[in-house]
Amino acid sequence: MTAVRESAVMGRAGVGRWLGIAALLTFLVLPLVPLVIWSVAFRWVYPDILPSEYSGRAWSSVFSSTNDVLGATIDTTLVALVVTVLSVLIGVPAGRALGLHEFRGKRLVELLILAPIIVPGLAVALGIHTLFIRYGLANSLVGVAIVHLIPTLPYMTLVMSGVFANYDADYEQQARSLGAGVIATQRYVTLPAIFPGLVVGALFTFLISWSQYVLTLLIGGGQVVTLPLLLFNFARSGENAIAGALSVIFVVPGIIVLALSNRYLAGEDAAVGGIGNL
Amino acid sequence: MNTTTVNLRLMAAALALALIAAACGGSDAASGAPTEAGLVNLADSELAGMDWDAIVEAADGGTVNWFMWGGSDTINNYVSANVGEALKDEFNITLNRVGINDTVDAVNQVLSETEAGVFADGSVDMIWINGENFRTMKQGGLLFCDYWDILPNAQLLDQTDQTLLFDFGTEVSGCEVPWNRAQVAMIYDSATVPTPPADMDALLQFACANPGSFTYPAPPDFTGSVFVRHVFYNEADKLFPDEGGHEKLLGPFDQTVYDQVAEATWATLNEIESCLWREGDTYPTDKAALDQLFSNSEVALNLTYEPTSVGLGVEDGLFPETARTYGLESGTIGNVNYTAIPFNSPNKAAALVLSNFLLDPEVQLSKADPDVWGAETVLDLTKVSAEIRDQFDGLPRHPSVIPSSELAPLALPELQGDWLTTIEADWQSSVAEQ
Repeated sequence: MTAVRESAVMGRAGVGRWLGIAALLTFLVLPLVPLVIWSVAFRWVYPDILPSEYSGRAWSSVFSSTNDVLGATIDTTLVALVVTVLSVLIGVPAGRALGLHEFRGKRLVELLILAPIIVPGLAVALGIHTLFIRYGLANSLVGVAIVHLIPTLPYMTLVMSGVFANYDADYEQQARSLGAGVIATQRYVTLPAIFPGLVVGALFTFLISWSQYVLTLLIGGGQVVTLPLLLFNFARSGENAIAGALSVIFVVPGIIVLALSNRYLAGEDAAVGGIGNL
Repeated sequence: MNTTTVNLRLMAAALALALIAAACGGSDAASGAPTEAGLVNLADSELAGMDWDAIVEAADGGTVNWFMWGGSDTINNYVSANVGEALKDEFNITLNRVGINDTVDAVNQVLSETEAGVFADGSVDMIWINGENFRTMKQGGLLFCDYWDILPNAQLLDQTDQTLLFDFGTEVSGCEVPWNRAQVAMIYDSATVPTPPADMDALLQFACANPGSFTYPAPPDFTGSVFVRHVFYNEADKLFPDEGGHEKLLGPFDQTVYDQVAEATWATLNEIESCLWREGDTYPTDKAALDQLFSNSEVALNLTYEPTSVGLGVEDGLFPETARTYGLESGTIGNVNYTAIPFNSPNKAAALVLSNFLLDPEVQLSKADPDVWGAETVLDLTKVSAEIRDQFDGLPRHPSVIPSSELAPLALPELQGDWLTTIEADWQSSVAEQ
């Protein structure tokens, strides 16, 4: 708890906050400007700084039934939400075990948890694909959501293990000795303490799942169409205007999620600082 | 504390199990459907003995998952809107266009399913395909075959035409049906290049007379690979003037002939390399990158497998209105692209109806219309009604696109697959890495 208070004091310095906002604008908003321009450009060639002609073609194409961007957006969101929930359910207990307890073989477990970040996910997924086909999980939203756990779980677990490393489990014992039940303890003691870290972990998970391409293509078999798949189709074939319009749609949820959790990312809480403590 | 941890763990495990259980639906194979990998002929399939009417009836209410390259908004629209809606109205078949980046993704999909033992309930019902991908599928026994005779509209094809019967040298054997013709044309901007190089020798001279204004995508890119083959043909024409020139290359792979022609080709390409865009230090990765260079006037020449795409490019603002296409007098390579049905498609009847529908004269006519797509027909126009023939002749032509009557006489055949892959691999070691 002292850690929480300390960094809250630091956060109040104000200057850091404005620097943070300026950095967010520079690195998040500025790169999006050309995408927005591309999405309404008809002819934009060297050496013109702005397009010489404009057109609404890309946007009308994006909203036409052919590309089904709405369907893809819904599927992408659905998968990312399921992945986030599953990651929380698995990552929180795992992070707790790693952050609070010393046990034999802990280093090995940590290494295994990091493995999906070290080993290319594609190599693993190629093997999993065969199994998924056999179990009927291929080409389905469920299968895609499960396979997205490969790249997302390490982040969730790492963040939570950092959070629990700074967490004193004695508070739970105190609450219990004062008469709180198991659920009340979780709700009024554990959850508030880990909440900022939980949000950050969930945010990572959501965004990693949101932007998966290769795993979705492989396990979804082209039948689960998410936004990155549509985007890649057009970006790779040089349809810059449509790729621009899709990119604009693609980044919207990221910005919303980021804005909502801004408080936790701006460093006002201990959670973020704890990531390195594994 | 420990109890809640255990509870959470149990919940997670239970949830995962529930998800897996929910997704594992049993799939009963229809009788007659394949039970092992291998090419499946119509006569040995679940559709054996049916006449066309029975197949159309069996297809009623079906779905076709058609895997095809999805990078062109025009083609996507044509397939989803024009073909999809008509198929629904006329045959009550749902067309599900599955857009992919590369046809090889669909081939790998069928391959993975086969390795996993899915022989009757695959997820791919049709693939837009040709060349190397077709060869892989045919050799791997992954196709449904020998069904040309059942398709009424296949009678409108010239079934003696070797360019339809051999796909990059691989015999088609009724394992795919033609859909479009394609033939390479050069692209230039008539505003900046008044007289483009007329043949391959002139083109190579043009490159060094205008340093930095020419390049080609790095093979194995489709378009880059075909450019290198044009140079290859040109060298063969010079090496064997009395033996038919490039015709000596047609047929099975011949190492002795290859070595001779390849040596001359790599010498030529290395000679012009320093004249290329960025002095040949790097090549555009694909056709889209070359298009971008051309539209930014960084390079003066471009090439395409599909001349009609230049008209579309002008309409979409990618190319300047002064862009024009033409054929090289030394000839340009042409080929045919097809639709194929995987052996493990559970919707073969519906896929057959779609295959036949795509060859319908009216459908081929609307596809050839530059306002719709502009793809060249595969039909033998002497076999369609006079009325349709007149409409084909009367199709508008985009001013940027060379008339097919001018381009077709310049057509050169494709090489067989072994030549292609060897050329692509050796280009890497002999040109890119030199």
